[in-house]
Amino acid sequence: MTLKQFKTIKLIFVVLIAVVTSQSIVLENYVLPIIVLAVSFPVLLYLRKRVKEVVADERDYITGGRSAMFAIQVYSCLAVIIMIVLYAKKDLNPSYEPIAATLAYSTCVLMLLYSLIFHYYDKFKMANKKVFYIVFIVIIVIIISIFSLRLLSGEDDWLCKNGEWVKHGNPSFPVPAIECK
Amino acid sequence: MQINYMVNKIKELRTKLNITQEELAGKAKVRRETIVFLEQGKYNPSLKLAHDVARALRTTIDKLFIFED
Repeated sequence: MTLKQFKTIKLIFVVLIAVVTSQSIVLENYVLPIIVLAVSFPVLLYLRKRVKEVVADERDYITGGRSAMFAIQVYSCLAVIIMIVLYAKKDLNPSYEPIAATLAYSTCVLMLLYSLIFHYYDKFKMANKKVFYIVFIVIIVIIISIFSLRLLSGEDDWLCKNGEWVKHGNPSFPVPAIECK
Repeated sequence: MQINYMVNKIKELRTKLNITQEELAGKAKVRRETIVFLEQGKYNPSLKLAHDVARALRTTIDKLFIFED
C-alpha cells in the first residue's frame, strides 16, 4: 500500500466517524460511535503497518511533541478561563455548572495523562512501544471505568419513575427537558 | 567550545551522486520533506539520521556537516 492510498483511506475513515457520530447524537444512539471508533482504530493501525513508505520520521515526532504541548497549554488556559466565567455566572443558567465541571475535569485528566506519558518517556526505554501501548490502554480503561461507574451508579441523578422525573441524591444539573417515559 | 553555525553539504553531494531527494529520503528512511529541511539548514538531525544520510551519500558525518565556531 502506498502512503497516498493510506492517507485517502484515513480521510474516508475520519469522514465516516464524523457522520456516524453526528447521526448518533441525532438518533440518541451512543453505542454506535464507540463501536465505529473501536473498529476503525485497529483497522487503521493494520493499514499503517502495510505502508512501505515512511509515514512519519523523527522531525514529525519532534514537531508533533511541540504541537501537542502547545495545544495542551492553550486548551488548559482557555478551559480554566471559561470554567471560572461559567461558575461565576451559574445563577443565570443552571446548566453552566455541569459544563464548567466537565471542563475542569477534562483539563485535569489531560494534565494527568500528559504527566504520566511524559514520565514514561523520561524514565523508561523509549523503544519499548509494547509496554507503552499496554500502559496507555490501562490508563484509558481506568478513566473510562471511573466515568462509567460514576455515570451508571445512579447517584446524584434524575430518575424516571411513573412518568415523572424524581430527584435522587443531589444532581448538579436541572431536571431533564426530555419527556420521562 | 560553543558551536555558532552549522552548514552541510547534502545538496552538493547528492547532486554529485545524481540522486533525487526522494531516493535519499528512501535510503535514510525519512520523508522527502525532511531532506528538504536538512538541505536548507532548517533542521538539525539526530545523530542517527546524520549517520544514515552520511552513509547514503557515501561520506562521513564530519565531512557532511561542518561546524563553525
